[in-house]
Amino acid sequence: MTAVRVFKARRVVTMDPALPEATHVAVREGRILGAGGAELLGFYPGAAEDGRFADRVIVPGFVEGHCHAVEGMVWRLPYLGYFDRAMPAGGTAPGARTLAEALARLRSLEAALAPDQPLLVWGFDPIYYEGPRLHRRDLDAISPSRPIVVSHASGHIINVNSVVLERAGFSADSNLDGLVRDADGLTGELMGPPAMQRATRVAGGGGLMSRLDEEGLRAFARQASRVGITTATDLQRKLDAEMVAMMRRVTGAADFPVRLVAALGAREYSLADGVARAGELLGTGTGKLHFGIVKLTLDGSIQGFTGRLRWPGYHNGAANGMWYIAPSELEGIVEAYLRAGAQIHIHTNGDEASEAAIGALENVLARCPRPEHRTTLQHCQMADAAQFRRMAALGMAANLFVNHIYYWGEQHAALTAGPARAPRMNATATARREGVPVAIHSDAPVTPLGPLFSMWCAVNRLTSRGRVFGAGERLSVAAALHAVTLGPAWTLRLDHAVGSIAPGKFADFTVLEEDPFLVPPERLREIAVHATVLAGEVFHA
Amino acid sequence: MIRLLVIGGFLGAGKTTLVNRLLAHADRKIAVLVNDFGAVAVDAALIAAADATSITLANGCVCCSIGDDFGAALERVAAGKPELVIVEASGVADPWRIAQLALIEPGFELGPLVVLADAADLPRLQADRAVGDVVRGQLSYADIVVLTKTDIAGAALAGSRAAVAAIRPQAHVIEAGNLAASGGDVALADLDFAVPRARARFMAEAAHPFRTWTWRDARPFDRGALRGLLGSLPASVLRIKGFCGLDDDEGDWLLQYAAERWAFTRAGDAPERALVVIGTEAMDQPALEADFAAALR
Ligand SMILES: [Zn+2]
Repeated sequence: MTAVRVFKARRVVTMDPALPEATHVAVREGRILGAGGAELLGFYPGAAEDGRFADRVIVPGFVEGHCHAVEGMVWRLPYLGYFDRAMPAGGTAPGARTLAEALARLRSLEAALAPDQPLLVWGFDPIYYEGPRLHRRDLDAISPSRPIVVSHASGHIINVNSVVLERAGFSADSNLDGLVRDADGLTGELMGPPAMQRATRVAGGGGLMSRLDEEGLRAFARQASRVGITTATDLQRKLDAEMVAMMRRVTGAADFPVRLVAALGAREYSLADGVARAGELLGTGTGKLHFGIVKLTLDGSIQGFTGRLRWPGYHNGAANGMWYIAPSELEGIVEAYLRAGAQIHIHTNGDEASEAAIGALENVLARCPRPEHRTTLQHCQMADAAQFRRMAALGMAANLFVNHIYYWGEQHAALTAGPARAPRMNATATARREGVPVAIHSDAPVTPLGPLFSMWCAVNRLTSRGRVFGAGERLSVAAALHAVTLGPAWTLRLDHAVGSIAPGKFADFTVLEEDPFLVPPERLREIAVHATVLAGEVFHA
Repeated sequence: MIRLLVIGGFLGAGKTTLVNRLLAHADRKIAVLVNDFGAVAVDAALIAAADATSITLANGCVCCSIGDDFGAALERVAAGKPELVIVEASGVADPWRIAQLALIEPGFELGPLVVLADAADLPRLQADRAVGDVVRGQLSYADIVVLTKTDIAGAALAGSRAAVAAIRPQAHVIEAGNLAASGGDVALADLDFAVPRARARFMAEAAHPFRTWTWRDARPFDRGALRGLLGSLPASVLRIKGFCGLDDDEGDWLLQYAAERWAFTRAGDAPERALVVIGTEAMDQPALEADFAAALR
């Protein structure tokens, strides 16, 4: 296949400083020959001009550096969130703006179920609702006999009806941690894994999303492609032989629309087994399936009060969060994986966790130097300038969770980080200024996939109530675009192959209906994705 | 009822060593649940069968990984009808969160919460800026604290004793030396409220640290008064377990109480309405008996 195709666009934004702007881009064998003007056609005899994007704007294909393929599976259950959310099958699942609306939706879902099926929904987000919290009585009114489990968007709480409580053995006479109660006994709100797992299991919903399957992976890729992503991560996965074979088969299909980066979840393995498995996977990738990353999880989440925070801790006085890995064992784990040749991504939400990760890496690098380690802190939501300086000095990157500013910014100000620290969270501008390579992400399904939305968050820093959080941390559109292209590509060790439109790279583009540099910044998230191009092949959004 | 023994403690305290010893010297059928399967180093000669999630030993014991759902793992091992299930909590987990589940898990009764601490390192760890709260949290509901490495702790031993006394004064403290050394320093019998003394090395040396008495009164309690009583018990009461009646119901109820948490669940036919109360030496039995009597209908 030696045919040369030259895509013509209103504008091509290359992210390549040698030629930042162009109108044409020439492609052969799935890779970029070069960008330029109409003269490109003359460079390559027999080149065919493809004018279908002539009226549109081409940018480098978006790279989502932190999301999860389970996004393709959550849609098997109905969505009950506050915000409208695009579905992989197409169309939009409408948000429920009031509790009454959410209950009405549950009622109609219930009516459509077979008699023996439990009603399980996800994405419930009551922090946006005024008035009393969802109570088991509300759910009992929908069905007194069918198990109902409503999972919250945060992932840390569920609401259940009385049948589920009864089957789980939870009653007014179980005074245990994690069971929320009022004067009337239990409210049906359950917090923390032990109680949640037990309730989900007795409701008949256990193991529903336990293992990624082919259809789930395809749905995930479709969803990613629809929002302009051409390289997507599955950032925590048990990569056993069967899973890898499935990924190889599915991603290898010509119509699979993204490159997949699958990170080995260290917590799925003992250290020795994980290190061995990471080593086995090195060099076994394809153009569309990449290995080599190991994901470590150090602390919990800030909105769940399980992230580890430095002084003064949680604003509402909640106890400090939890370590999934003790700081003292982190060093040994990091060293073992580094020596095995893996690249390490560490989930750190709170600043105490970031501090521990930076310290551990600093010690490891002193005895085990790896100039190209590119260790990346994922989320890294509360890092300050001093921490970013240390990260820059050590050669680390930050993938910041800017979507939080919109979805949880107000809660962070009121409860977790407090009003002084909340606007400083996800300090994109500070990280850049201090020399840390920066990416931004959705952590889908925690928040919806959508690099344009993440760009909008980084550029505007607006909360759900319309307040600007941290005006000084706002990014320019160019910097935000970098943070969803070359930035994450660098963190995935794929910047030689994707992230900009430059000769030799994969011909991966995102085709936009409007120019992100010309629309008012507050409209960035409304820009429609027209299509993506992966290795020169067009996928319509 | 299957007895559930939760063993917690920070990294390096010796949990895995202890669990391996208990497995190797098991005198009854034990099932062990662990987070990190790879860390379990059972003597290869003892292994009868092994797969990705469980190891079966020649002595009938089994060791399983917990996976994503602790309750489901409990159900799985219960099917093998062990006499005892030991849960090795992860080094950063709160063992008390795990132990509470046994209060409502049908078929299980909660043994003492055992927390190990490295006597050479505890004074430093419990004051550590990043993990001090985790270490103190793990100790704060312990019934039995096993101080390990007391043989090499030197001056830190006094600090470790003081730390445990400050964090959890009710706990019975076992000073266990080197768990890995021969001699089986800590036996299963030591990790119990009620002790067959002949088998318990530490109990033989010291007076039995726990006090037990039984409330025998078949008359039903007033449900509200019983809830009030359970909500205000003194810290010297560590466990209550047994069957009772309630004023608003004909049947028998199983009551389990542990460290300010409790549950009563409907029982089938109870053999006898009686509540066993376990506590420290400071437990004031006459005062408690008066409180129980006042809670009767
Ligand atoms: Zn994630």
